[in-house]
Amino acid sequence: MADTGFIPKEKWGAFIEGLAAKSQVWVPCLEGDIVIFRPYSKDRTLCFERPANNPPKGVIFPQSDKLFSFAFKKDEDNPQKVMVEIEEKLEFPKTTIIGSRPCDAKGFLIYDRPYTETDMPDPYYKGRREQTTIVTMSCQAPSAGCFCTGVGGGPADTEGSDVLVTELEKGYFIEALTEKGKEIFQQSAIEAGNSYEAEARKRQEAVRSMVRDPFGSGGKPEVSKECFESDEFWQDALAKCVSCGACTYLCPTCYCFNITDEKSFEKGERFRSWDGCMYNHFTLEASGHNPRPTKFQRFKNRVGHKFVFYPEKYNGVIACCGCGRCIRYCPMSVDISEIVSNLQKPTGSASDGK
Amino acid sequence: MSDVAPKELRIVGFLCNWCSYGGADTAGVSRFKQPTDLRVIRVPCSGRVDPLFIVKALLNGADGVLVSGCHPRDCHYSDGNFYARRRLEMLKRLLPFLGIDDRRFHYTWISASEGQRWQKTVTDFTTQVHKLGPLHTGKEAQP
Amino acid sequence: MSLDKLKQIVTDVLKDVDVVIGYKQGFDPLHATPHFITSSDQVDQIIWSPLCVQNLTTYLPSLKKKVGVVVKGCDSRTIVQFMQEELIDRSKVVVIGIPCNGVVSVRKVLEKVKHQPIEEVKFGGDGTVTVKTPSGEIKMALSEVAPDKCATCIYPTPVVYDHLTDEPIASTKDPQNVFKDVEEFEKKSLDERKGYWEKEFDRCIRCYACRNACPMCVCQDSCIAETREPHWVSQKSTLTEKMMFHMIHALHLAGRCVECGECERVCPMGIPVNKLKKKINSDMKALFGYEPGVKPDEKPPMFTFNVEEKNIEEHKL
Repeated sequence: MADTGFIPKEKWGAFIEGLAAKSQVWVPCLEGDIVIFRPYSKDRTLCFERPANNPPKGVIFPQSDKLFSFAFKKDEDNPQKVMVEIEEKLEFPKTTIIGSRPCDAKGFLIYDRPYTETDMPDPYYKGRREQTTIVTMSCQAPSAGCFCTGVGGGPADTEGSDVLVTELEKGYFIEALTEKGKEIFQQSAIEAGNSYEAEARKRQEAVRSMVRDPFGSGGKPEVSKECFESDEFWQDALAKCVSCGACTYLCPTCYCFNITDEKSFEKGERFRSWDGCMYNHFTLEASGHNPRPTKFQRFKNRVGHKFVFYPEKYNGVIACCGCGRCIRYCPMSVDISEIVSNLQKPTGSASDGK
Repeated sequence: MSDVAPKELRIVGFLCNWCSYGGADTAGVSRFKQPTDLRVIRVPCSGRVDPLFIVKALLNGADGVLVSGCHPRDCHYSDGNFYARRRLEMLKRLLPFLGIDDRRFHYTWISASEGQRWQKTVTDFTTQVHKLGPLHTGKEAQP
Repeated sequence: MSLDKLKQIVTDVLKDVDVVIGYKQGFDPLHATPHFITSSDQVDQIIWSPLCVQNLTTYLPSLKKKVGVVVKGCDSRTIVQFMQEELIDRSKVVVIGIPCNGVVSVRKVLEKVKHQPIEEVKFGGDGTVTVKTPSGEIKMALSEVAPDKCATCIYPTPVVYDHLTDEPIASTKDPQNVFKDVEEFEKKSLDERKGYWEKEFDRCIRCYACRNACPMCVCQDSCIAETREPHWVSQKSTLTEKMMFHMIHALHLAGRCVECGECERVCPMGIPVNKLKKKINSDMKALFGYEPGVKPDEKPPMFTFNVEEKNIEEHKL
């Protein structure tokens, strides 16, 4: 930890404003009783006390992203010949996210593997990712349903962030974790941080001990194949799911997308938008056949993707950050941590009761 | 809104094929003059008009919507306009709740012989919408 | 009402049906969750308290077996509405009704305790609830943290049931107040209303939690908000598309919404989705004297017509 600093509480607002002068800043804002990530502006009320209702994934991976616009033009002399003009913009603004949590930041690392670690990296994702600095706040308390330590994370985890901020009694202790993070230290509001480090570490440890670990497997829960393949297990566990898709949209690590052309007459735009594996039409094929027509098959795939297939492909990394949003906001309180915990046992049943 | 002549607003009309479209045709054949803001969409019956057509039109750029069908009891399909009357009344009461002036939406019953009445309805409705002004100020935010 | 009586009724009903749907404790002390009971050893996990907020009837149209279901007053109206629209086979459903004094809104409780972790929730029989967090205990009146629907509830006792767990409760609320919030909203100017809805719907992420939790939305898998042919709503996340989805949802529920409030409860972005439907319901009452989900032999007003409509006058320009 080379660069550390301290921002007194009175100077926190100025710190954010200073950053907003140099880049587009996204912060969690309070609207009624909802906390939602919005672009910073002076008239917003900021709220860092609890994780936002929605994760900041929309900053780097927008809910609907225009890939390019197109226009069809017929040749005047030969109307059978039609040309397509495509207009694409691949410049992205310098962006800073302030107030994500360690679980949210870990989500971007999960995206990086399929989106950029390939022979054809996704230019839209990569472009935004490279321009974005992530300033993460460590948690002061666990939230309902969250379990980051159970999947190898923690309330002050540094994975995926450029800067980590820990709230102390008189201000904020900040530490730069990457080269991008060190650029933040050009801000004048920052004082020396060394004397506050001990207090920060103590706070971080205290919060860590409060987080629940539903798996008890040192951050690497393993799923029993026998249990995973049992149809009865899934039918039992998912009887109460209403297959809405809120869990996929609120999940920091979910990255599935849909590409659609939205056009009228001879011009249009190609959009990439969020898709959710819980929707019935996620795997609906053009022929009308659907390999996963039932909700329990879809949820099985969701758990499989996060806890089995992704770790198999990427060296044991689990594609779940334990933020707990899917549990908190599920209309019927389906609990993925309970299901995975039951999957660990070789002969577990879906609802063992707590 | 650039393909509409500068002083025109966008008004969409849903006309039932048998009575109202015939009435509009009668007005045309008789060479009555009326504003050109209204663009007609022909439907088989006013009962075909889903309230969502009107909502979609208003949300996506229309400044006013007019729906016209056969007189109640005279529907070509017997009862289509009875259903339409219920649905359209429900919608007319809902629009102001959303903040859209309900004078932008009008539904009426015009038969095939009522060319004069058609001309008057279109003229009066267009004047009414012009008084209210354009609905959209073009400040839709980027996704 | 004693929990034992409910468990006894469930055990009896279980003999005649394939599954009974009730409530059990959820992932933390403030949440209950639906409990699907297929064998008698699962009956013990049943709970009944103001935590039981979900509308369990939402599962009925898609379950093809014989089902027993636990309902509160508001939930029972859904069953009557299903009967009006022939969406369930009444002979295959056993309704276990529980007269209800009101439930809690998790959102309101969390606001009151400033979103601290919940350690314990206790319901005093005197209409209070005490919530324990790391910084201490906070006692509050149930009426302070009840969802808005409970403040105007005129059907605390289920309107249809095969078994009733307790003596029927009479409503203490004035039926004139049911649409008071709609009347209050209509006092705002047109511009204020427009600004209000634009602000609220801007937060929508089109997750469709409201649509899927709604018991009356039975077309979920072929909902026109998601079809490409016909193409009603595009994938762009603009305000226009979000409003279009919400209008589709509200208008398809015209005259069918039983005001169970699930849509508003499940919205992760806190949008007052129920308001639009309440407005349509107040018009249904004014125009046709119709209240959804009360009399099984009525027909929803949008399904039918009268040759002479008493309350609809021709509009003049």
